[in-house]
Amino acid sequence: MKVKILEWKSFATWHWDLATSADDSGYVEELCGICRVSFDGTCPNCKYPGDDCPIVLGSGCTHNFHLHCILKWLEQESSKGLCPMCRQIFTFKEPEQTSDVLINLKTLIDGHRVMRERFQQGNEQEFEAFGADQDLQMA
Amino acid sequence: MAALPKRIIKETERLVSDPVPGITAIPSEDNLRYFEVTIDGPNHSPYADGVFNLELYLPDDYPMCAPKVRFLTKIYHPNIDKLGRICLDVLKDNWSPALQIRTILLSIQALLGAPNPDDPLANDVADDWKKDEKRAIEIAKEWTLKYATKKD
Repeated sequence: MKVKILEWKSFATWHWDLATSADDSGYVEELCGICRVSFDGTCPNCKYPGDDCPIVLGSGCTHNFHLHCILKWLEQESSKGLCPMCRQIFTFKEPEQTSDVLINLKTLIDGHRVMRERFQQGNEQEFEAFGADQDLQMA
Repeated sequence: MAALPKRIIKETERLVSDPVPGITAIPSEDNLRYFEVTIDGPNHSPYADGVFNLELYLPDDYPMCAPKVRFLTKIYHPNIDKLGRICLDVLKDNWSPALQIRTILLSIQALLGAPNPDDPLANDVADDWKKDEKRAIEIAKEWTLKYATKKD
């Protein structure tokens, strides 16, 4: 018997490899804790899942989010730079293959942290300066 | 109006299909960001047997900012003022987008079981509470009976 292929359709599936972020029990959270859409889906602002909307891995904690979701949260002043799940300062895990988007993101997140630290230091200095003034007046 | 975010749709579906015991939240037909809420007073609290009506609104920024929640039923509580506004950290500075409508409503129910007169919103109530806790609890019970009793 001879078969002649007239037409064929191919398809492929993919998913984010998040195995590195599993906790001790091997459990991997499948949903973004902010938008509650699966990691393989898109954040609310994107049309298509994939490289434009990658998953960001926390390095201080084991929590992961869509890039756009966590960035939007960290941009809120009220976030204080904390992870929405565990309230530790959110730090970002260096991915093995850095894409431009992720490098930009790292710059952004680090920038937020530096600004916060600077702000806090500034407050302390002001407070000390005020204390010193008082001492002078007292003397 | 902009489309309703998926997260809000999911939360609403779950609130209806798998409700929290003692709490109901029903979205308004005209505005799916506006919920009519009832919370049962916790047992062993001055609010036991009371059913309190609240309104909850999800601002455009939700879940980047907290839902706006307010008591509609009069209540005598040191952390809830005359206008029904609630003093609760997770509704203000300690909001996190990992919290949800259901967790917030549970926190409010817990607040009814654990009034905190040291962080007051209704100063007069908090003062009463600190001066004579027994009396304050009596008033809270009276108000519950008067304003928060189910009308069958």
